[in-house]
Amino acid sequence: MKGQQNPMSISGARALPWVLGLAVLALSVPADSAETRQFAISWFAQATYSNDKDCSGGVHPEIELLYLRYASALGAKPSQIEDWRHKLMQGENVQDLNELVSNRGRIDGLPVNPYTHPAAVMDLNMPGLDGKYAFGFNLDGQGAEDPNGFEDPQTGERGVDHQLYRALGCARAFRGSLEDRPTYWAWSWGQLKDSKPAWLITVSGEDLSKDGPVTVALDRALEYLRSNADGTPRFDMAYRIDPDPRSRNVFRGEIKDGVVTITEHGTLRLLQNPLVAPELELSSVHLRLTLNPDRSARGFLGGYQPWHPIYWGMAGVGFGGEQQVTGDIPGYYHLMKRYADADPDPVTGLNRAISVTYYIEAIPVFAAPVTDTERQLTRR
Amino acid sequence: MAQGGLRSRKLVWGAAAAVLVGCSIWAVATMLGSSSGPITPGPSVTRRLTAEQYQNIIHDLFGSDIDLGGRIEPDLRVNGLLAVGASHVSITAAGMEQYDAMARAVAAQALDEYHRDMLLPCQPVSASDVDEECARAFLSKVGRLIYRRALTENQLEAYVTAAAEATRLTHSFHEGLALSLSGMLSSPSFLFREEVLEPDPQQPGLYRLDAYSRASQLSFFLWNSAPDSKLLSAAESGELHTRKGLARQVDRMMASPRLEAGIRAFFIDQLRFDEFETLAKDAALFPKFSAQVAEDAREQTLRTVIDVALTRNRDIREIYTTKKTFMTPALGAIYRVPVYKEGPNGSPDAWQPFEFPSSDSRGGILTQVAFTSLHSPAGRGSPTLRGKAVREIMLCQQVPAPPADVDFSSFEEGDAHAAATARERLNAHATVASCAGCHKIIDPIGFALEHFDGAGEYRLTEAGAPIDASGELDGITYEDAGGLGEAVYRNPAATSCLVDRLSARALGRTVTAGERNWVKDLKEAFADSGYRLPALMREIVMSETLYSASVPVDEPAQQVAAAAVESGVVEVQ
Repeated sequence: MKGQQNPMSISGARALPWVLGLAVLALSVPADSAETRQFAISWFAQATYSNDKDCSGGVHPEIELLYLRYASALGAKPSQIEDWRHKLMQGENVQDLNELVSNRGRIDGLPVNPYTHPAAVMDLNMPGLDGKYAFGFNLDGQGAEDPNGFEDPQTGERGVDHQLYRALGCARAFRGSLEDRPTYWAWSWGQLKDSKPAWLITVSGEDLSKDGPVTVALDRALEYLRSNADGTPRFDMAYRIDPDPRSRNVFRGEIKDGVVTITEHGTLRLLQNPLVAPELELSSVHLRLTLNPDRSARGFLGGYQPWHPIYWGMAGVGFGGEQQVTGDIPGYYHLMKRYADADPDPVTGLNRAISVTYYIEAIPVFAAPVTDTERQLTRR
Repeated sequence: MAQGGLRSRKLVWGAAAAVLVGCSIWAVATMLGSSSGPITPGPSVTRRLTAEQYQNIIHDLFGSDIDLGGRIEPDLRVNGLLAVGASHVSITAAGMEQYDAMARAVAAQALDEYHRDMLLPCQPVSASDVDEECARAFLSKVGRLIYRRALTENQLEAYVTAAAEATRLTHSFHEGLALSLSGMLSSPSFLFREEVLEPDPQQPGLYRLDAYSRASQLSFFLWNSAPDSKLLSAAESGELHTRKGLARQVDRMMASPRLEAGIRAFFIDQLRFDEFETLAKDAALFPKFSAQVAEDAREQTLRTVIDVALTRNRDIREIYTTKKTFMTPALGAIYRVPVYKEGPNGSPDAWQPFEFPSSDSRGGILTQVAFTSLHSPAGRGSPTLRGKAVREIMLCQQVPAPPADVDFSSFEEGDAHAAATARERLNAHATVASCAGCHKIIDPIGFALEHFDGAGEYRLTEAGAPIDASGELDGITYEDAGGLGEAVYRNPAATSCLVDRLSARALGRTVTAGERNWVKDLKEAFADSGYRLPALMREIVMSETLYSASVPVDEPAQQVAAAAVESGVVEVQ
């Protein structure tokens, strides 16, 4: 291409280090790969498909109403509940209610922080989602026979495993679609994208305009995702790949009709951000990534994920965040525990992982491995 | 203006000197020699310091961490240069207030506890009492550098007295000094570059700049700042009036890293980079373009020019064709080339050398983001504005303003003339007789840059239609931007323009008819050097024409000058 460089075809003064870098990346980019496209993930959130028919038990009430339920269960008198309800409706201060619910956990009868002790908070048994559709993958191979399986609204595939959606899908902060982004995930990504190094995707193959085998690498960069002045992600920036083995992932896959999928479903590990969750870990990784004409990409990343880290990511927001963003955090603990569908604990039998699907958008970038010197210099 | 006792500024006219202000005066028919023929020196001029020169001087004198604390009134571009406009501007009352405020801010910082020890040549007897001896030592030293000539005894006495009075009022020696220092920095002798003439003893009938003015002429041209102490000493010793002494100082100054500042200043002026201050792009249309990108783009072109002209001392015309440049990661995104950050995450982006492949149509400063974005409206590219800029900036040709009644909507609207591309719209627009003449000579230049959108990013299509980047410049046709760079490289007007502008910058005015032989000599020497810019700069500063001036005939200033020469010291209150 004259006058510009495609991210696949590096030239100029950086060509030599780039070539050397590719040698280091031997695992992720086959030596015979003729085309490589690289992306930085610019949007990452649970894939949701909320609609009017997916919560037969109703969408969860606002957090203030749940607080009144907790207060009642904790022994507050009906007259007190009504007084708080009135004050809440008037927008008045309810300090005594706040103190009660912000310590609504009970251990040996004593109030404890509900976010750090979610198991000590009573389960209000809020309903899970029971709709028909969800984005994702048939992780367990049961297909149409899977009693908990969804149908993917894009591919029509049956037996889609996405129990995280079933667990949280009726909570207000988690409802949304690919276009109308769920509040919690929008907030979460907003926190993450400017405070953690970017996540990179490298797709390599003989000719990405044709069907055939590919290699898919998912890595973490050293740099944060760079944005434009208007907040949109900036195309065509260059990122250094973090050599930390905890964030290096390579999968075999294929491209068909411009859609990249992973065919060998291993484990994915990407360092994330300790403020939300230290690590993203998925087993039985699945990917469906559509390469767009404008050089960007979008698609779905799925697998089984330990659900405790998901909980702790939410719990970090505390009482203020619960009111402003998430809704009933300990309630989500109980919901995820209820719907977890993988990795049973050998002692308790409780499932420690839950099937998930994340929706990702990615922009074209350049990426290359760093030298040892740069690695030493780089602040994490 | 200066405060208190400093208001009574005394302008001393030396025994054989006269201050001649203004550029609209006629030359006497006296001549210098030239290989191309006789040269009649033009008039002397008085120039207001440009904003950049003001800043350079302050930083040279007091340190680069001094905050100016304000903005100077806008400079004026005349005949393509702010350096020429500097001899056409004065200072308004509001502007004087700004200078005064800045002078006070600078003086306060220069004499604060962090800077004073580096500047003061002595320790006052007491920090709260008058110490005239120490004040005199400081003010005479710094005053010489600020006024660019030794202070007269009367001037120095006035400043020492003012500092002493202020110290008595404030009980602070340093605040007292700061008052006098701010007075110097508000003085017309600092804010304006006056040229002081004296009869040339070597060439009866001719006038020359006095030694101090000669030093300023040299220093502002080569360094874009005031003379340093060594140069002033050379002026005081008479060294600058000898060819050997002048050459010694020129050698020293051209070997200095500060030469880069002088070359940068010229190209900032010549390329109209002051316009970056008001450059803005529609963020919705050009999301990658930001204030940082604009700053980087401006710096990229300057680094490219410095690399060709100074670092590698190459044929200056290579600035239109070179594949070598410099990048930051943010610029790399616009150019769509990988520019990896160096150093720790979160550290400032460093500049890195970069070279476009030979097959790439990018090459030369015309294809860089600075040029293509600066000469485009906020929401699109513009072959017309870019072509006009090439004509006016690179070739020194004047393109007339459009007719007052021109209907721009026929071009501004994307679907005008049912056309997809700017070329199609402009070709349709050029059928209007009153517009055709100019568009015919500027649009074909700009068409070559149509692969670069309004923010300078590469594109292959416009509104879905393929872009035709072919064009023509003064008989040379080309297929794309690379070809345009070659065409400018080969165009004799490009080097001629550079000599015209550089000589005008040195003089502070456009050359007169009587100086054309001098410029002709410069152009020949420039060609002989293989178009090396440092060689041309040396040729200019070693030329006596730069230090000669005519004296007006039959005008009041001339009569005053004549009287000054005849009667010895004339003091004007």
